[in-house]
Amino acid sequence: MTEALSPATPQEAAAALAEASEARASVGVVGGGTRSRRGRPAPPPDRLLRTGGMRRVVAHEPADLTVTVESGLAATVLAELAASAGQAWPQADIREGSTVGGVLAAAASGRRRLRMGAVRDSLLEVVIATGDGRLATGGGRTVKGVAGYDLPRLAVGSLGTLGVIVQVTLKLWPVPAASGWFGAEAPLADRLGVAARALAGPARPASVLLAPGAVAVELIGPEEDVRPPEGLEALPGAPPEPAGRGLLEAGVPPPRLGELAARLEEGGLVYEARMGVGTCLVAVETADDVARARAVALGLGGHAQVVDGPDDLRADPWGPAPPGLELMRRLRDAFDPAGILNRDKLLWEVS
Amino acid sequence: MATVRAPSISDRFVALLDRERVIDHPLERRLYARDGSIAEGDCGLVVLPETTEEVVACVRLAAELDLAVVPRGSGTGLCGGAVPLRGGLVVSVARMTRVLEIDPEVPCARVEPGVLNLDLSNAVRHLGLHYAPDPSSQQACSIGGNVATNAGGPHCLASGVTAQHVLGMEIVLGDGEVLRLGGTAPDPPGYDLRGFVVGGEGTLGIVTEVTVRLMRNPPEVRTMLLDFPSVRAAGEAVGGIISGGVIPAAMEMMDRLMTRAVEQFVHADLPVDAAAVLLVEVDGTPAEVAAHTAVVEGVGHAHGAGRVRVARDEGERALFWKARKSAFGAVARVAPNYYLHDCVVPRTRLVEVLEQIERIAAARDLIVMNVFHAGDGNLHPLIAFDRRDAEQVERVHAAGKDIIEACVAVGGVLSGEHGIGLEKRDFMPLTFDAVSLDAQARARDAFDPGGRLNPEKVLPLGSRCGELVLDAGSLPPGTWL
Repeated sequence: MTEALSPATPQEAAAALAEASEARASVGVVGGGTRSRRGRPAPPPDRLLRTGGMRRVVAHEPADLTVTVESGLAATVLAELAASAGQAWPQADIREGSTVGGVLAAAASGRRRLRMGAVRDSLLEVVIATGDGRLATGGGRTVKGVAGYDLPRLAVGSLGTLGVIVQVTLKLWPVPAASGWFGAEAPLADRLGVAARALAGPARPASVLLAPGAVAVELIGPEEDVRPPEGLEALPGAPPEPAGRGLLEAGVPPPRLGELAARLEEGGLVYEARMGVGTCLVAVETADDVARARAVALGLGGHAQVVDGPDDLRADPWGPAPPGLELMRRLRDAFDPAGILNRDKLLWEVS
Repeated sequence: MATVRAPSISDRFVALLDRERVIDHPLERRLYARDGSIAEGDCGLVVLPETTEEVVACVRLAAELDLAVVPRGSGTGLCGGAVPLRGGLVVSVARMTRVLEIDPEVPCARVEPGVLNLDLSNAVRHLGLHYAPDPSSQQACSIGGNVATNAGGPHCLASGVTAQHVLGMEIVLGDGEVLRLGGTAPDPPGYDLRGFVVGGEGTLGIVTEVTVRLMRNPPEVRTMLLDFPSVRAAGEAVGGIISGGVIPAAMEMMDRLMTRAVEQFVHADLPVDAAAVLLVEVDGTPAEVAAHTAVVEGVGHAHGAGRVRVARDEGERALFWKARKSAFGAVARVAPNYYLHDCVVPRTRLVEVLEQIERIAAARDLIVMNVFHAGDGNLHPLIAFDRRDAEQVERVHAAGKDIIEACVAVGGVLSGEHGIGLEKRDFMPLTFDAVSLDAQARARDAFDPGGRLNPEKVLPLGSRCGELVLDAGSLPPGTWL
């Protein structure tokens, strides 16, 4: 029977973890639960910590372009707050139900990464409740700073294995004057040509997406710059993301994305390649799909992780371990000495 | 840890490299006992490896001999990060200067750590590319040093500091293990070790190769000089431009003293009577440049800017930037030495902190000049002084402490781009509590369990929970800070 932990404050979260460490009870951590089906299939943890009770807005300074919130705040609520000041958190991939902490713990970068950068670049300060129940702060609340070790970068993408992200300060950006999606349907070679021209500018697109049969470009900036590039038509909105029983996220050197796309199409797989960035989402139905898509990514000098899906797709969610696995284990042990946090989520027992 | 004075130790390193790449002459060692800061330490021996294998061999031998290892790039750092203490071994990467690969398709460059920042941008200019972080020292500072300090520069306002531009690296850990972290394929599984190493100030490993992101040159650039009747007006204009939805490529401020010192140096016809000058650069498509220029000019005039001088051509633009980047050199006309600070405050507190710094300097009877990255609130108050005057030096340090405390009091951080090193090490408890310092120490120790790499830097003694502190905060005798 899994016991529920619902801290209302960072202090309560830390106390709950200290107690769990003492009891050697395994703890699962959940934000909005929109990205929880990842890692290796595992029996339910002894305790499940939900961050949703920690949802205060601690500080919002529109003129400083910063906001400090507790991690359980819904990302859509943060987006509304920012929008009220003409600002946005454009690096984040915000899903309905996602929490701010969950987006960061999963390092979920959105489609505007090409222009706006990765979500890990938006985190200025983090407070984590470590596995042994201590509240540690890293970074700083100003838009720039290099004081001390970069715990924020360690926390982003750590999937709750070093500690629970309980409070964050984010850098916000002004909302562009205009934005619009443009697209075309064409054979692969033509789509790659469209993508290459879009990437070459002169406008710096927010997003250039390649999918089976279609290419889409998002432009942002002054009205004059948000006009259909040659050969593309205005789309009613953002194109849909690939959907399947599961989702694989591949990363390859950006110039190899065209080859990745070609090979995925040959294999009948639905994907969304983020041109110029190097990431590619692949809809997967079976473990064989995972293996095939991953083999292509590895062959192109990249990697592929299952980021969502039922248990049968996650027998090997990560593929080959990256360099530094021993070092990563030492880091985890330093922050979660009892080894209670999300043990199934990150590549600890890779064969 | 041992010191390396015994000749036999020097011979051991000579056997690994060769005679001319092992420096143990006392005069030369004194050069390596310093960096761009005013700190002076104690250098035992300097080695100049040229390959990763040689770095590994030096690090392994240092471990065998129980020597501290202090990595060094060009030695232009401003916080004492490359200053060796207690006769440590300096491992300089200054001879690792090859550009290994330029890939215009990514676009990125793979370079050795001793490559100079500006040399990299020069090497890719013909491709219409540049490397974004551009510290004022860019003619002299190395990419490896930039990685160690997470260096910034004026153009980091829109483009971000070094951490956002390092895609991958090769690193030698304190025990000689070599790891390749990150790369051009984004988001590999596991923790972002690559990102964590940037800004590690040489305490996590010695970076022996770096893959950096290059950026396409914008189609259009406009560089403007605005003169203001008061520092307050200029500071408020900075806030107004950002609030107007514009993040310029760069937005720099100079006060009157600094503008005058610089004008004597570069003869750029700067507005020497203005209380403050803003140097603002916007870039992008013609439409973006036009829209952003309109905001900058409108906000500037609303805050009393007399005239907006637009660089007519690339030559004049270069002159404006030369004025900005030679500011520190120009101080030599005011006093023989200067102490450059580096704090960041929330943009909304900029004016108030500048006024407080003015009062702090006046109270200590010191000259303070300002030239800084106004757009992100990164202050660089510079105290001009004469090192030969011991009593004045004391006042300089006291004022520096006051300035740091004033910045922290309004929610600022200790460093925007220079780092902590020795200089600000003992100020760390101003912004981090004991638990947070302990967490940082744990992360550092995971990289370097032996505590061999650049010891005594960044974290004050006593940061580790339960660490025995007999003489807190003390530096070894002979260290001049």
